[in-house]
Amino acid sequence: MSSSVDTAIFVKPPTMVSAYLDWLQMLTGAGLILFMWSHMVLVASVNLGANVMNTIAHFFEATYMAQVGGPIIAATMLVHFVLAARKIPYTSEAQGVIWRHARMLHHTDTWLWLIQALTAMVILIMGSVHIWTVLTNLPITAAKSAARVQGGFWGVFYLILLPMVELHVGIGFYRIAVKWGFIKRSGRKKFHRFENIWTGVFILIGLITIIRLWTLPI
Amino acid sequence: MSRQLTFNIFRFNPEDPNSEPHTDTFVLEETPSLTLFIALNKIREEQDPSLMFDFACRMAICGSCGMVVNGRPGLACKTLTTELPDEITLMPLPVFRLVGDLSVDTGTWFRQTNTKIESWIHDDQEFDPTAVEERMENDLANSIFELERCIECGCCVASCGTANMREDFVGAFALNRISRFIMDPRDKRKDPEYFEVVGTDQGIFGCMGLLACEDVCPRELPLQDQLGILRRKMAFVGLKNIFKPKEKGRQRRF
Ligand code: HEM
Ligand code: SF4
Ligand code: SF4
Ligand code: FES
Repeated sequence: MSSSVDTAIFVKPPTMVSAYLDWLQMLTGAGLILFMWSHMVLVASVNLGANVMNTIAHFFEATYMAQVGGPIIAATMLVHFVLAARKIPYTSEAQGVIWRHARMLHHTDTWLWLIQALTAMVILIMGSVHIWTVLTNLPITAAKSAARVQGGFWGVFYLILLPMVELHVGIGFYRIAVKWGFIKRSGRKKFHRFENIWTGVFILIGLITIIRLWTLPI
Repeated sequence: MSRQLTFNIFRFNPEDPNSEPHTDTFVLEETPSLTLFIALNKIREEQDPSLMFDFACRMAICGSCGMVVNGRPGLACKTLTTELPDEITLMPLPVFRLVGDLSVDTGTWFRQTNTKIESWIHDDQEFDPTAVEERMENDLANSIFELERCIECGCCVASCGTANMREDFVGAFALNRISRFIMDPRDKRKDPEYFEVVGTDQGIFGCMGLLACEDVCPRELPLQDQLGILRRKMAFVGLKNIFKPKEKGRQRRF
């Protein structure tokens, strides 16, 4: 006789959930990396002239890619956060363990993970605020962005958010490559160096862009 | 002139109710080819006979002398003091049960973990002691041997942030060990059976890719590469399962 009692409460059947969630964590991470790279190209276009940025922004709004894509990115970020947060220690005891462990080991990759977890928290809050502000103030124009930055508050806001995101993205990119075996032992050092330079270049482009917005005549 | 080495050594005897965790300092003159193993024996002989630490083979084979040397897990017998600064801090390996001072019980942990991942050849054939041993390609034998070189010293586990945070994480040791059985044609387990033991958050999907294991393993096992191969393999076992028609009577959920 079959009944509605869930036997899995008592005898755990093997599941493949861990594998699916790991795929999702990696794919949402990779998707967000691709988005952030594109995002940088779009915003940095202001360095080529306010018109260039306006034209690009207009294209994305006229095709509704911004209106639809924006919330999709926000949702991806949320899913990614929920999945990746499984790895962050929740109890203060475990947090103490990983902190003391990192200090004992003085091992770069272990520190990088801590940076990833810390920057993640900042991105979660500041990223959401930023997405909300931009999407509720469409259309995006260079003049509006410049006015925001020149107001001071948003200028400082982006000066903080920029390195946080670039560090998180850079480390995440490196991490996916080594975790999934795309980069082997022999290539790890080189890839690590490449990743550092890559992150540095993105922070630099971001800084130039913020300065450009700060000095753009409105 | 030879260096004066200062050793800060963790001291604590959990058996003794009066013992408090602290560090003791010992000074020793550096002699040629001094290893930590020799240094510790000297300290015990000449300065403090109560000092506890483990060793057996003194040649990086038995895996019993693992300890944290200036923050990094390593083998005392394989570490020359010339590689280290004047001040050397020795701590027991974390994660494992502390026996006393620098001595930890790695045996219980490894036994439990080996049981958990069913670390033996699974074969339902009757063993025939008179039969000629099955042949294996030399290349394959060599690549299995490469992973088999693990001496269960525990350095990878002690250096792993995940293993430190999560007691049930099996560590790079176990994941490497499963890779070894996956390679071995004599083990008749299929992918789903391997998945059951390491395709979990206690197994390969719990690994965060910190690669401390790779960086400290005194036998330089290719842990990074094996972890990558295993993650991909197990991830694809999961992926294939989505597209497979459900088998009747199979208990697997999702
Ligand atoms: C909402 C806030 C976010 C949080 C809380 C967060 C958290 C984390 C954490 C804790 C990890 C480490 C996971 C692990 O070690 O397995 C991680 C990995 C990663 N994150 Fe985020 N993240 C956030 C946003 C982002 C964003 C906006 C991006 C990209 C632009 C991103 C890209 C990545 C990548 C690529 C990885 C590596 C994935 C992997 O190891 O499988 N994250 N994230
Ligand atoms: S994999 Fe390396 S570090 Fe880990 S137990 Fe084996 S020999 Fe020791
Ligand atoms: S890669 Fe990192 S998380 Fe994974 S087993 Fe090695 S040390 Fe632990
Ligand atoms: S004493 Fe055997 S490995 Fe060091």
